[in-house]
Amino acid sequence: MKRFLGWSSALCLAAVTLSAQETNQLQRLELRLQQMQDSFELQQRAMREDFERRVREQQAQIDALKQQLETATNAPTPVAQPPTAAAPATPEQVNQLNDKVNQVVEAQKKVLESEFNPSIGFVGESVFSYRSQGPDQTGSDRPGGFDVYQRSMELDVAGSVDPFARGYVVANASADAATGEATLGIEEAALETDSLPGNLTLKAGRFFGEFGRLGYIHEHELPFVNRPLVLDQYLGGETRTDGAQVNWLVPVPHYVSLTLGLGNGFGGDSPLNDPGAYRALSGLNYFGRLSTFFNLTPDWNVETGISGLINPDTQDRGGVDGLTGPGGVPMTEKERRVAGLDVKLNWVPLQNNQFRSFTWGNEVLYSDSRYQFDPDGTLNPANPSPGFSGDEYMQGIGAVGLYSYATYKWHRQWSGGFVFDWVQSASDNHDQTFACSPYLTWAISHWNQLRLQYTHTDHNAASGLPPDDAIYLQWAWIIGSHAHGWQQR
Amino acid sequence: MTSTLLRIVTVMAALTALFGSAPAHAAKIRIVITLTDLADFAREVGGDHVDVFCLATGIEDTHGVPMKPSFVPRMNRADLLVLVGLECEHSFLPALIEASKNSRIEYGHPGYVDCSAGVSPVEVPLSTGHSQGDVHPYGNPHYMLDPLRARIAVTNICNALVASFPQYQADFTRNRDVYLARLNAKIVEWEAAAKPLKGVKFVSYHLHWPYFAERFGLDYFGTIELKPGIDPTPHHIAELIADMKAQRVPIVIREPQFPEKVPKLIAQQTGASLVKLPIMPGGVPRTETYIKEMDYIIHTLVAAVPAK
Repeated sequence: MKRFLGWSSALCLAAVTLSAQETNQLQRLELRLQQMQDSFELQQRAMREDFERRVREQQAQIDALKQQLETATNAPTPVAQPPTAAAPATPEQVNQLNDKVNQVVEAQKKVLESEFNPSIGFVGESVFSYRSQGPDQTGSDRPGGFDVYQRSMELDVAGSVDPFARGYVVANASADAATGEATLGIEEAALETDSLPGNLTLKAGRFFGEFGRLGYIHEHELPFVNRPLVLDQYLGGETRTDGAQVNWLVPVPHYVSLTLGLGNGFGGDSPLNDPGAYRALSGLNYFGRLSTFFNLTPDWNVETGISGLINPDTQDRGGVDGLTGPGGVPMTEKERRVAGLDVKLNWVPLQNNQFRSFTWGNEVLYSDSRYQFDPDGTLNPANPSPGFSGDEYMQGIGAVGLYSYATYKWHRQWSGGFVFDWVQSASDNHDQTFACSPYLTWAISHWNQLRLQYTHTDHNAASGLPPDDAIYLQWAWIIGSHAHGWQQR
Repeated sequence: MTSTLLRIVTVMAALTALFGSAPAHAAKIRIVITLTDLADFAREVGGDHVDVFCLATGIEDTHGVPMKPSFVPRMNRADLLVLVGLECEHSFLPALIEASKNSRIEYGHPGYVDCSAGVSPVEVPLSTGHSQGDVHPYGNPHYMLDPLRARIAVTNICNALVASFPQYQADFTRNRDVYLARLNAKIVEWEAAAKPLKGVKFVSYHLHWPYFAERFGLDYFGTIELKPGIDPTPHHIAELIADMKAQRVPIVIREPQFPEKVPKLIAQQTGASLVKLPIMPGGVPRTETYIKEMDYIIHTLVAAVPAK
């Protein structure tokens, strides 16, 4: 026992001693490490300062050389010499030096698009509003009364795919009216190439097809808060399609542009055809626009175009008997046809167009779709045994709608205007709606804009809807890359 | 449907064959140029061999030339596109190039002539964040207001012409040398005439004048714009007026593209002279060429310097 206790004590003592030694050693090591760190930081600081000094000196030398080169290049003639030209160097030496310095300067230049390849931008858009009527009286999915709507949270990504094509994606999340959840959707994702012969550009994927003037503009870039009623009703809002379009710059001295395209559907909020088991070419949507431009004076110009959209064989778009025609008769769209004419008059004074401008934009659309009427509703799939009863008939409905707006800019930050909407329902041309909206825009900067708009909407007796008054305050902002595209001009 | 498509394609092919781009060397060399100073240089160097079309008339802001579709057919047929570079034309040129569908003048091709090559820029920003306004990432692009740097643009235009059309090399180089000799003589004259400007403080509406100030020894005191492309706030104007009074700044420059109201107010409040100066040829009457423009700028400024 004593031996055991003795060994134990000895072991404990040894352990304590060892532990103390280890602690001392650890402290020494920590001290040593601290010293090394301090030394390293000192050296690093000295190296950094030395490096920065050298860079400054070299930059000064480069600047001095550039100064000399600017005066020495281009072989000043014996007629007269600028007083600063002095460099007693041979032309060969000057050229060599010129090359070296230019390489240094050029190396500092980067194509910014590739610095973050692809280029990335983000658009935020909030709409604060008050509407006098609820959604059951307006057809909107937004509530009546006071509302705050995060309409756009848009991510824009663009870049070169290869030497022959570029691509871009616009992903947008809009807050759901019921849940408030923002579901990310792809508004556009397309490839574009102009590496084709004959002035052709091909675009394919999901994109806003060219029809009219404001159908392919994103909501935050519209000249007013909401997309015109006629574009909403006849096209389904923005002209989104999954398809392909070819643009042809007609090779004549005057500007003429022709675009033709096809797509699975057409219109961001427009129902798609029932795909069914098999689809012929006539089941697709075909669209196009022919446009031109005239300079009236150096400051005044007019741009105009005609557009067309046809889906020759519409397969139950919106459902069988999902629509109601005149007299409340159930019907189904069988052929979709829309034509458009757009005219935009611009006053863009050459000298101060950033401070003053005037735009008068107009678009008239004619919808001439054909429908299958089903008075007794026997085709409705909800029936126990849906089928033809013999009273069905085909008929076309012609309807017209238009918008006209004028915007005057009197200051780099301030502009205001007025938009008038009038539209006959595409499925019942007796049902008419009109709206008028004055608006005031404050562009705090190029990337930050507020807009106040009042809209009075009224309907005729056939619609059975009461008038609606609304006030909107729109706030749109952009961070990151923001290109000035041709379509947004 | 198929027959309709065939008809459309046939018409397109016929029109392309009829009006399609003629061979580049069939007639004069077609040059599209963004601003009028470069157009003047191209006419001087190119002589009778070139047909110059300038997007600007001279009275526009260098960053705000309207994007007119009527430019597109011209650019579609151009052999060369000559630009200032340093993102000076960023607000209108990229979209026009895209619309013109002419690969000869796209970035990276021989027909894309960036005249800023070899120019040492000033005011290269440390950050391109929009908190600094609409800054130019490669530096201030208004180097054409320094005649020594402008000579580099003359050489760049000549080099591009020679590279694409070597058959006219002798003419181009001779024209360049003749023009540079005239310019050199004028530089001597301008530097002598501008001696009263040494150390003179001035403000301008936009940050157009750093190269000019550096070349002729002026002291660039500030800008009326809060930041490039951002309108002044009342606080900024009040601060600028107070500082100008304290520092006795004698000159306010208004570029014709900007409204007169605020520069006039500042000049009245500070007792400074308000002068209207062009930023490219044609900006004000009797400045149709680069040499006339620089003559006008220097003599107007010298006349505005208060007597000591």
